[in-house]
Amino acid sequence: MLLCDFHIHTRYSDGSVGLRRTVDLFGQAGFDVIAITDHVVNGDNPFGKLANRFKFSVTGESFEAYMSHVAEEAERAWDRYGMLIIPGVEITKNSFSSDKSAHLLLIDIKEFIPASWGYEKIFLEAKKQDALIVACHPHRTSDKSFIDTLFLWNNRDKYAKYIDAWEIANRDDVFNVISLKKYPYIAGSDFHRVRHLYSWKSLLNCKKDMESVKQCIRSNWGVAITLFRN
Amino acid sequence: MVLFWILGVIILWGLIMYTLQIVAVRLTLAPTRNREGDPRIYPPISIIKPLKGLEDNLFGNLESFCVQDYPEYEVIFSLQDENDPAYKVVRKVKDKFADKPISIVVERCHHGFNPKVNNLFPAYRHSKYPTILISDSNVTVGPDYLRTIVKPMNNSKVGLVCNLIKGIGGKTIGSIFENLHLNSFILGNMCFLNKYLRIPCVVGKSMLMRKSDLEAIGGLTSVKDVLAEDHFIGEKIRGQKQTVVLSNYLIHNVNEYWNLRKFINRHVRWGKMRWKIGGMKYLLELTINPVFTACLPLLLFGPTEKTLSVLTSVCVIKIIGDFYLGRNLSTPMHPLFYLLSPLKDLVIGLIWLVPFVDDTVVWRGNRYRMGKDTRLSLCSERGGEWKYRIMEGIKAKLAW
Repeated sequence: MLLCDFHIHTRYSDGSVGLRRTVDLFGQAGFDVIAITDHVVNGDNPFGKLANRFKFSVTGESFEAYMSHVAEEAERAWDRYGMLIIPGVEITKNSFSSDKSAHLLLIDIKEFIPASWGYEKIFLEAKKQDALIVACHPHRTSDKSFIDTLFLWNNRDKYAKYIDAWEIANRDDVFNVISLKKYPYIAGSDFHRVRHLYSWKSLLNCKKDMESVKQCIRSNWGVAITLFRN
Repeated sequence: MVLFWILGVIILWGLIMYTLQIVAVRLTLAPTRNREGDPRIYPPISIIKPLKGLEDNLFGNLESFCVQDYPEYEVIFSLQDENDPAYKVVRKVKDKFADKPISIVVERCHHGFNPKVNNLFPAYRHSKYPTILISDSNVTVGPDYLRTIVKPMNNSKVGLVCNLIKGIGGKTIGSIFENLHLNSFILGNMCFLNKYLRIPCVVGKSMLMRKSDLEAIGGLTSVKDVLAEDHFIGEKIRGQKQTVVLSNYLIHNVNEYWNLRKFINRHVRWGKMRWKIGGMKYLLELTINPVFTACLPLLLFGPTEKTLSVLTSVCVIKIIGDFYLGRNLSTPMHPLFYLLSPLKDLVIGLIWLVPFVDDTVVWRGNRYRMGKDTRLSLCSERGGEWKYRIMEGIKAKLAW
């Protein structure tokens, strides 16, 4: 089984650890596949404006540098640790209301997709790029300082067809609703700090290459989750 | 006033000892003429790495032992459980160096109370060469490591070669404290004892010995129930009229992401070991912590011009001294981190008191009571158990 984490932030957005150190941290811990998914924040409200102002977001301008740095680290990680790195982003549509907020992982993205686009446009563009679409922390979380992101769950009848997988577990939280609905699932750490290394992870029973990993998640066959502890 | 002067003498003594430690480090690390010369024979070596859990830089640490510039050696990674997160890492290391003689031994073993020694038994049985190197998983070495440390073994009188340790990689407060402490107090004392008193400290991070010598002292069985197995292996080998050599090859102990609690836990455990081994000599340790002793006048006489200037001077001397040591060791530590050195010494001073009130240790997930010579016994469930429960409750509440 491949030990995987598909939800990782670095200093390209609001993570506290730089990309290189993050890669080393996961490589040294024996991970097989990780996705770097820094935030792309919508700039159409005060949250997003602040995030963009203080560089807590990958932007259209920084996207190329971000992708090229991830590619460079991916090559190093493969040579040194035999670890596959997939470039991605977390489309972050924040609002003052939990019901209107949503976060989406786009894994194996190739071109920049702004978070200010409408949901359907984002989904279609991601599909066009053959990126994996994952709904993050789709239900109530235990983090009281965090505005829940319930939009996709509340509108699942409309959007579930676009979503390849839902996060059934995020860091320390488990969302049993995903299980009850029998949606395809993965788990991720939502890594921002070193201590988040020890959290829920995905285990995939597939080959260690990009297409096999994406296929495994989409088919949701051979997927398991594990609480990674030291 | 008399008390003030007594404390002044103790502080001065601490500073003199500290200076002697620095000199000892300089003398130990100074390039010497190669007395041992190149060995004519490089004995094949079995490297035994007992593993439990993820250490900082684990992959890199293990990798460094697989790329040794040495004619014939094998690496044995030993674990108690396939579910150990380190298992995945060693599998990857083995896959990466598929052409190297690397073995992974997974076997539960409960011969004694020391979990590390339990982990060593299966690997020791599996090892095929007459010379073994036992080394912890949290150290990294250069490719010339084996070639260098094997030199003293040319002399049949030498029974064990151990190494000096340098702390590197501090990225959090706990790991910065740990590295500052390893590179000043621990390294300084190891060099001091070895240079002036001819007492080499054996630390389990690297122990090279012959199987015949280990078996002559009773093998691993003789240390299965003591916590300081490394110290007693060294003592017993010395008891066999064999020499223990402290190599000046610095091995790197990688401590990157420690929190303060891990730092405190380790040094409480080490303090308890030194108290159980050294007895009254342990009391002297406080006098060689000048920062802590310089706080005492401030505590007893309040913040006066004298007490504050004494404390400030000692802190400045300690910062400069630790910085100087760090530079000598080529430690890649940010210069500003040395400003934390007095604070670390203060914490260490407080830790020094713990062994007098508590003789239990938690190591690798097990709680033991530690008797004379660090002999372990299961922690009694009766009497005093309530205080551990309260402590565990507080820890659970504070856990993030």
